[in-house]
Amino acid sequence: MSDTQWPVYEVFHQSKRGEPHIHVGSVHAPDPDMALMLARDQFARRLECVSLWVVRADHITATSYEDVEVWFQPATDKSYREAAGFRMADMIRKLEAERGH
Amino acid sequence: MGIESAAQAAAPLRDALREFLTAMADDELLLGHRDSEWTGHAPILEEDIAFSNLAQDEMGHALTWYTLAAARELGAPDPDRAAFFRNAGEFRNATLVELPKGDWAFTIVRRYLFDASEQVRYAALAESAYRPIADAVAKLRREETYHLLHSRGWVQRLGDATEESHHRMQAALDVAWPHALGLFEPTEGESTLVAADIKPPENTLREQWLAQVKPILEAATLVVPDAAQMAGGGRSGQHTQHLADLLNEMQKVARMEPEATW
Repeated sequence: MSDTQWPVYEVFHQSKRGEPHIHVGSVHAPDPDMALMLARDQFARRLECVSLWVVRADHITATSYEDVEVWFQPATDKSYREAAGFRMADMIRKLEAERGH
Repeated sequence: MGIESAAQAAAPLRDALREFLTAMADDELLLGHRDSEWTGHAPILEEDIAFSNLAQDEMGHALTWYTLAAARELGAPDPDRAAFFRNAGEFRNATLVELPKGDWAFTIVRRYLFDASEQVRYAALAESAYRPIADAVAKLRREETYHLLHSRGWVQRLGDATEESHHRMQAALDVAWPHALGLFEPTEGESTLVAADIKPPENTLREQWLAQVKPILEAATLVVPDAAQMAGGGRSGQHTQHLADLLNEMQKVARMEPEATW
């Protein structure tokens, strides 16, 4: 059976100015303007919203799940590079104590 | 000078206000009901949800106008009784909104013609000397502006998308047009309202509406029917059989148990 649906547009929602646009889902639409309108009805009616983006899904360039290991999994232990190694909270508390907060 | 509340309105003005507010409320309620008939049946999921939203918006607008009409001095029934316990002859809606939902083309064309009329009407009512109307319109206009964007967007796309869509849109326009003109049939006592600066004459609104919808319909390659062929009567309670059928379904549950609380 052939796909008679319109193209898929991915929808990104911004709740406040300056905040990032966050992916919230997708809509089918014949063109970008209609995609925005439909996205408004699906995703922005109950959420607080100041801006929507729609992007045609086939315009997104993405990695493949088959390549997860190649792209994202280090072969050897590099935990020494992870930020979790820093004890920031302790440092900040110590600095604050020194400054008399 | 503005009229702050129904208590400040003279008696003839009260009757005219009740008729006018009831007409606006009935238009919104019935179109909202027709829109809600698409819930679960619209041609695409996204529009199914969009139309359910529109239906809810119109119910909200209907409630606003029914509530104003139910001011003690104006004497209309409270909103629930107005919606569920009046018979067809007591409704003041234009016949446009009582016609069955038809196909998707008819649904879109009807919505567009109605939304454009609301835009013109609300713009005028924002200046109304009757303060409760001007205040209500200030809020409702935002939603109506979006409704118009939505329905106009579909008219512009479907008018010349394919041979079938064009044919269906034209057929829908031919059926809807005379009834859409009925949106501008004056309610009883209109001259009293006009004299008090509560609203402009329907004729004025009709001309503004024509100037707005004609270019859009023509750009969508549709032939605009004759502006003289109005299907009126709705504003004085003369309706098609479709209204009685609609009310029979819409009011059935409420009338089974009139004293029930929801």
